[in-house]
Formats: sequence, C-alpha cells, structure tokens
Amino acid sequence: MNRVEDTKLQFRVLRRQFLFRLVDVEVLSAHALGDANKLVGQFVSLLIFISLLLTLGLLGFNDANVTPDVRLALSLSLAHVLIATTMLAVGMFAVLSWDSVFPDRRDVLLLAPMPVRARTIFLAKVAATGAALAVVVVVLNSATGLGWPMAFAAVMPSSHGILGVVRCFAAYWFTMVAAGAFIYCGLLALQGLVAQILPRRLFLRTAGLLQMAAFCLFVSVYFLEPSVSGPTTLISPEMQRLARRLPTYWFFGLFNELAGYTHPALVPLARRAWLGLAVTAFAAAVAYALSYMRTMRQILEEPDITSGPRSFKWLPRFGNQLQTAVGQFSVRSLTRSRQHRLILAFYLGIGLAFTIFLARLFVPVFLPTSAQPVQANELWSEPNIPVLAASIMMSVLAAMGVRVAFALPLELPANWIFRAVGVRAGTGILTATRRALLFLSVLPVWFISAAVCLKLWPWHKAAGHLIILGLLGIILSDVALYGFRKIPFTCSYLPGKSQAHMVFLAAIGLVALIARCAAFERQALQGVETTMVMLILIGAVAAGIKWRATILARSDERELQFEEVDSSAPLDLGLSRDGGVTGRRES
Amino acid sequence: MLELRNVCKRFKGIPAVDNVGFSALPGEITGYLGPNGSGKSTTMKMIVGLIETTSGKILFNGEPIERDLIAYKQRIGYVPEEPHLYSHLSGLEYLTMVAQLRNLPANRALDCIDGLLQLLSLHGSRHAAISAYSKGMRQKILLSAALMHNPDLLLLDEPFSGLDVGSGLVLRSLIQVLASRGKTVLFSSHELETVERVCSHVVILNRGRVVADDSIERLRTLMAVPTLEGVFSQLAVEQDTLAISRDIADLIGA
Repeated sequence: MNRVEDTKLQFRVLRRQFLFRLVDVEVLSAHALGDANKLVGQFVSLLIFISLLLTLGLLGFNDANVTPDVRLALSLSLAHVLIATTMLAVGMFAVLSWDSVFPDRRDVLLLAPMPVRARTIFLAKVAATGAALAVVVVVLNSATGLGWPMAFAAVMPSSHGILGVVRCFAAYWFTMVAAGAFIYCGLLALQGLVAQILPRRLFLRTAGLLQMAAFCLFVSVYFLEPSVSGPTTLISPEMQRLARRLPTYWFFGLFNELAGYTHPALVPLARRAWLGLAVTAFAAAVAYALSYMRTMRQILEEPDITSGPRSFKWLPRFGNQLQTAVGQFSVRSLTRSRQHRLILAFYLGIGLAFTIFLARLFVPVFLPTSAQPVQANELWSEPNIPVLAASIMMSVLAAMGVRVAFALPLELPANWIFRAVGVRAGTGILTATRRALLFLSVLPVWFISAAVCLKLWPWHKAAGHLIILGLLGIILSDVALYGFRKIPFTCSYLPGKSQAHMVFLAAIGLVALIARCAAFERQALQGVETTMVMLILIGAVAAGIKWRATILARSDERELQFEEVDSSAPLDLGLSRDGGVTGRRES
Repeated sequence: MLELRNVCKRFKGIPAVDNVGFSALPGEITGYLGPNGSGKSTTMKMIVGLIETTSGKILFNGEPIERDLIAYKQRIGYVPEEPHLYSHLSGLEYLTMVAQLRNLPANRALDCIDGLLQLLSLHGSRHAAISAYSKGMRQKILLSAALMHNPDLLLLDEPFSGLDVGSGLVLRSLIQVLASRGKTVLFSSHELETVERVCSHVVILNRGRVVADDSIERLRTLMAVPTLEGVFSQLAVEQDTLAISRDIADLIGA
C-alpha cells in the first residue's frame, strides 16, 4: 500500500472509532455489563416518536373546513416549531458530545506514538462529528421531513406543482441541516474560544458549567420563545425585535426564502441565517483548528502530577463515621463526575422545560410586553399554581435524577474497597444515602423555592408550602430509595434498564398530576385549618413511608449489592484473567 | 494464623482454584507464587472475602472467616493486584473515606493519614486528584489504606508494582518489621528475588493447585537448585522459554 492508501485506511478506522465514542459511552459506565446499544436505540426511538408526534398535525391539515389563510398560518407556525425542535435536539447532542470533539489524553497517548498524522486524526474527528450530526437531524425529521414539505408546498403561494414540492423538500432538508450545523458550530466555536482563553486546567473545570448553561439555555429558549401564529405577527415590531435575536427565526426566514415564500419581514432574517451560518462555521473551524493543536500539545506536555488546591471542607457530616463516608463520597462523586452531572442536568432540564411550560399555560400573558402588569402582580402575590407546581415538579425530577445517577457506577473496579472493609447493609447505609439524596436534590430546590415564595407571598402561606415541600422531599427520598441496598455509584449497571426514553413521557403524565396537586394545595393554603389538615395528612404519609423503609432496611442487613446481575465470574473483579473462566482447563 | 483447607473455586464448573490448602503463621511472611492465571488473585479475593469459596474452609485464628465476615474484614489489610482507586477523590479524601469506613476515631485517623502521607512522600500532593497520580503513588495510597488500621493480617497482591527503587526498599523492610511485630503476612509477587529475600515460607500454585508449600531453604535443597527461580521454573513453568523467544523473533522477522 502507498502512503495515500495508508492514510485513507487510518482515516476510516479512526472515523469509525470516534463515531462510536461520540456520545460518551462512559455515561453508561464503560465497565458495566449489558448492552449499550439498547440505550442508543431508546434515544433513536424517542427521536422517531417525536417526529411521528409532530407529523400527526397533518391529519387535520387538509380538512376542507380549514381556510387557506388558516392553513398558511398553521404551516408557518409548524415550520418554526420543526426548525426549533431540530435546533434543540442538535443542541442537546452537542452538549452530550462536548468532550468527544477534541482528543482526550487516552487518544493522544495511544495515537501519538503511531505513524498517524495529526491532520488525519483531525479530519476523522470532524467526519465522525458530521456523520453523527446528520444522523440526529435525519432521525428527528424522519417522519416530518416526508410529510410536512408536501403540506408546505400546498400552501406556499409560489410553490405549486411537482417542482414546488421538490423545492419545499429541498428547502426543508437544507434548512434543518443548516440550523443543526449552526447550533453545533456555535457551541464548538464557544468551546474552542474558551479553550484558547483559559488554561487547560481551568478550561476543564469551566467546561462542566458551560455544558449545563448551554443545556438550560436551549431548553429555556425552546419553551419560552413565542410561536409564529401567522403572517401578520411577523410584521409586529415586537416580533421583529425578538426575531432578530433568536436564531430559530433566522432559519425560519431561510426556509421560507428557499421555499419561495418571500414575506418582507422574513428577508432580513434569512440574511441573518446565512451570515450566522458562515460566521459560526468559520469561527468553529478556526477555533477548532487552533484548539486542536493546543490541546494535543497541552495533553502531551501536561505534567503527570499537578498539586491541587487545598480543598475547602464544605461538606457536612452525614451521621456517624460510616454514614459520613458514604454521604460525602456520594456528594463528591456527583459533583465531580461530568457524566453523572449531565444525567442530573437531563432531569433538571426536563423540569425546567415543564416549569416554563406550566408558567406559560397558566399565565397566557407570560411574555412581559403583552402582559397586563396589575393582573400579573395580583396573580403572583398569592400562592399560585405555576409556582406551587414548578417547585413540586423540580423536587420530584431532581430526586429522580439523583436517584438515577446513584445507580450508575463511577469507577466500578474501585468498589472493592467498600467490599474489603466490610460495610454492612441496613439502616445506617440507607440513612446516609437518603441524606445524600436530600442534600443533592431536595435541599437546593427547597432553598430556591423558599427564596421565591417568601419574596412573593405572605410569610405564613409561604411557610405552609415550604413545610409541604420538605415533607414531600422526605417522601420522595424514601420512595426513591425503596429497596435500594447499594452504596451510590458502586453497583454495576445494565445500560438500557433505566428506560430513559420513558422519562420524557412519564414527565408529561407527571405534569397533569402535579398541576392537580398544586390546585388542591392552593385551595388548602387559603385557610389555616385546611393548611393544618393537609400538613398532618402529608406528615402521616411521610412518617408511614419512612417507617416502612426502615423496617425493610432492618430486615435485610446482610449484604450490600454490588452487582446488578448476579454473576458467577464478576468481570469487575478481573477474575476472567485467573484462568478459570478462560476455559483453558477442564475439570 | 491464616489457614486454608481444601479451598476450591469453580466458575461454571471450571476450577480456578482447586483444593488449595496452606497455613500462614503470625510473625512469618508467606510468599504466594504462581504463573499468570494460576489462581493467586482468586485465592487472595477469597481470603479477603470479596468472593465466596465453592468448597473448603478459610480460617483466621481458628475461626471460619464467614462466621463474622465484617469483624474479620476489620482485621485485614489488603493491597489488590491492580491499583483501582476512586480517581475523582484526592489522596487525602480517599484515605479519610477509608478511615471512616473502618470507623477509626477521627483524630487518630487524621494523624495516622498525615504521618503515612509524609513517610511515603505523598504529603505534597495529598490534595491533588488521584487521577493525576502515577502508578507508584497509587500503590502508596493502597498501602496506606491497607495499613492505617493496624491490621493483624496483611494480604499483599503484587505490592511492589510501580514503586520506585527507594519506595520498594522501604516496603520490603516494612513487611519484615510488621512480621517481626507479630503480623501475619501473605505476599503474592512475580518478583522472585524479592520473595526470596523477604519470605521465609512459600506456597507455589500452578493451574489452581498447590505444587509446593515449604520453606525456601528446604525447597532449594530438595530440588537441588541454588535459587527460588530454579525451584519455580521446575514446578510452575511448563514452557520452553528459549524456544518461545526464538519463535517470537522469527515471527516478527527479527
């Protein structure tokens, strides 16, 4: 083989490797048993489900009773939603694959001694990223990208006939890919810029915060931005001002321009889309190239040992020595593990999204410019469903997120220490785990809720809600840890077991339930007696669940669980090397 | 005293450890030797209580270890073959956690950890994450974690792995000092020279079975070889090492 063929082969091999590692498999625990493809399959099925859901609107679209004007307004609104959804999905993907766009220490140490050019590694990374990005866009638009372009072609004033349909198809797919590329390049440029400005050590620390911020920003913008309700809304000054700032509208303008619908308000937006795409692509390319060289060099030059700062003892005691060990280990693991933080962020993101959704649902004039200030102030100054439901929802999802994170191992082979020192299962460990869960999930939400409620409402009503929220936290922690005989982060995990795609659907059902509970609570908070009755009831439930959980923990104090599936040859203990399971010797 | 009686471990019917029996006495350093895959680490893990035996008994001071496994584990110090540690914690945090898990009094534990970190030259990097530690530093953390509670039984699986010459010498002396103070030490290693210098008694394992269990001196005399390496080669090395070396060189075209 000549050198060109060698390089091509290296490129193909590396692209394949990088593609498989793009969404960090360590999120699923690299050492865990089970099928990681199952989880990827769940996310793909979730994207297809969303795509099918968004296609359902086609059923009523061709109703004879719908006038052409309404149809046009509907199609504009939906085109915007579809573009925004694609940008959100790509944004989420970009956040998840944040660390995979640059080579890590393992890549560099493995590839640097090999006769592979840096350019080949660079191009393989870019190609893998591009392929993954295309898969996300294509899967998400698998159903909408077939149905909606035809519907758009039917209502677009200048897109008739077969050519009109073809044009709409091309416009749709080009816009989706461009919108996705814009978001991805934007995040890449930001990452590259921060990597250039900050020292590597600080960059690695900041990266986690930036990921979380980007995640929350994408979710908030998606749910907060107003929809396009028709051609008339496009010319309102308020909408024009918003549209100039929000990229989803730029690509909405681009789609319309490409599809042949040249509304005067959309022309400058389309121009912004082109400009934005060019700027982010250029910035990403430059930042990526510069950062790539710098990162490669920094990783190689990074000293083996760097003296860390003296750690501030900010963690409380969680009970006795054993409980403190388990509690502090849990808190440190969650706060220091990027993968586990991302999982929690996923749940908090859903909570945030539904909080915004609730606020918009219950307060139709949520946007400040159209709001009626007096009515809005009156609404907020008393216990109201959006705040009550949001605080409960966030508590529930935070507790769920932390519980799921607890179940995912961190450095599974290192769990031998818990086994070797002889930690006994039972109430001690359960208490420590419960306290860690409360500390990490319920307590932060409670403090934020306290600040909001005490600021907005009369103190006694705020106090009532905060007591309820506290009791709910106790119930949540006990329910979440029911039958949990593990030390957080130490038990092996079966990828795909968590049914991550069901979280989204469960959250929808949860919103309805929590909204009802919030309505009930609001009523109860109006009077002292009803508040007391409610507190006694919830307190009794909390005490009952706690008592039951304690009884269960006491009844089974023998062994902690370190294996999700009981295996005769646990891989994490490395017994496969001991000859016995290699099958070399027969008994 | 640590005593193994007819200990077996089978995985899906295939024996990894087959009818192993030996004793390790207090004040004595017992070397536990064998080629890769002979079942050394599996035996160690059974002694630590990480995995259960398929049959046979493991006794410590005459008591089966499973009678009160938790209490037994409080009395052992274990250095595993591979330095798996929670790398998101600093060295100090890791050792503090182990001390808490072992329920050591906080002040005593803190003094002990501080002293161990000083003596093992880790004090300067005690606040750095373990992920930044070299293999030798990780090994020292493992050693500190195994020693801080003053265990009666020390189980050392390849404890010299990754240590520099100085630290290796310190560890060698430390093992001897601990044995002289009445500790029971079971020490597994591939470094036969070190074993020969440190251990008074060796158990050699091959294919999951004990092929020798005696003092080094007696084994050398019995087998009429001058070194432990000679004894080991005769008992546990079944390959023609020179022929394999030549085959490899031929294979790569050297």
